[in-house]
Amino acid sequence: MQRPHVGAIAIIILLAACAHDSRGSRVVTGEPPVIPRAPAAIEPGPAAESDVAPQPAASAPVTGPEGPAANVSAPAAGPTAPVASSTSSPSRPETPKSRASNQATVPKSAPVSPVPATAATAAAAALPPSKAATPPPLDLKGLEQRLRDTRAIGLFTKLSLKNQVDDLLAQFKAFHQGQSGVTLGQLRQKYELLLMKVVTLLQDGDPALASAVSSSREAIWTVLTDPQKFAAIGYST
Amino acid sequence: MPARSILGLCGLTVLGLTGPVLAQAPSTGADLKATIALNGFPCDQVVDSKRNADSDYTATCKDGNRYRVYVDATGRVVVKKL
Repeated sequence: MQRPHVGAIAIIILLAACAHDSRGSRVVTGEPPVIPRAPAAIEPGPAAESDVAPQPAASAPVTGPEGPAANVSAPAAGPTAPVASSTSSPSRPETPKSRASNQATVPKSAPVSPVPATAATAAAAALPPSKAATPPPLDLKGLEQRLRDTRAIGLFTKLSLKNQVDDLLAQFKAFHQGQSGVTLGQLRQKYELLLMKVVTLLQDGDPALASAVSSSREAIWTVLTDPQKFAAIGYST
Repeated sequence: MPARSILGLCGLTVLGLTGPVLAQAPSTGADLKATIALNGFPCDQVVDSKRNADSDYTATCKDGNRYRVYVDATGRVVVKKL
């Protein structure tokens, strides 16, 4: 009784070992792929792009190098990628960008074909926060009050900054009235320079306010360049 | 001994609490230096400053340049090289 039993056990172990071995060799392409496929999926991607469409292939190498260099433009093109990917192949040309974002979020679902919907939703869910983060609520009065109250800048410095802000506002007023020979690009340069001065003066003594001013840069610029919004702030010389 | 140590501890605590608060307020020299720089003049460091009147200072920079910094009647900060 014992000998056949031992023999059966040995056979079962051997069969299990063989089955495990064969399963492993097959599953390498299926399950474990999660680890090896991640690198493999990235490389075949561009090749597939170049194969799918010649135009995207031409654009793919262009966007590839631009991706890391111009991070600012990536978010702008990012939103279009998921939308296009949810529809059909047009997503191909922009997959490098989406791939960069997917590397952290959807690498596992990428290999599986039926996932585009979840990938699109995941990308869409990931992108809106960045968009929502870019336009912070602008509180001009609050910023002004904080600048008045901060102890990071001395009185003379505050007064000098106020003089320069008033000068710039006067130039914007003249610009909106068509009485200035200054272009919007020149005003932008002056605005950037002044904001740089403010942030530089604040960053050591009041980093929170410096960050708030810096993050409000575009919002303030929008107010300055929009005649209606500019009139609404009630600036008078 | 315990009383002394407690007093010392309290003193250190007070110094530790007031130190950062006092450090936040820029000195007159730093204020003048920033003002001079904001008005486009070079000044690495203000080594000496003299108060002439209310809102009227004469600052001497490390490079030897002297500036008069004051607020004019219109409320503008004026920096004049002397």
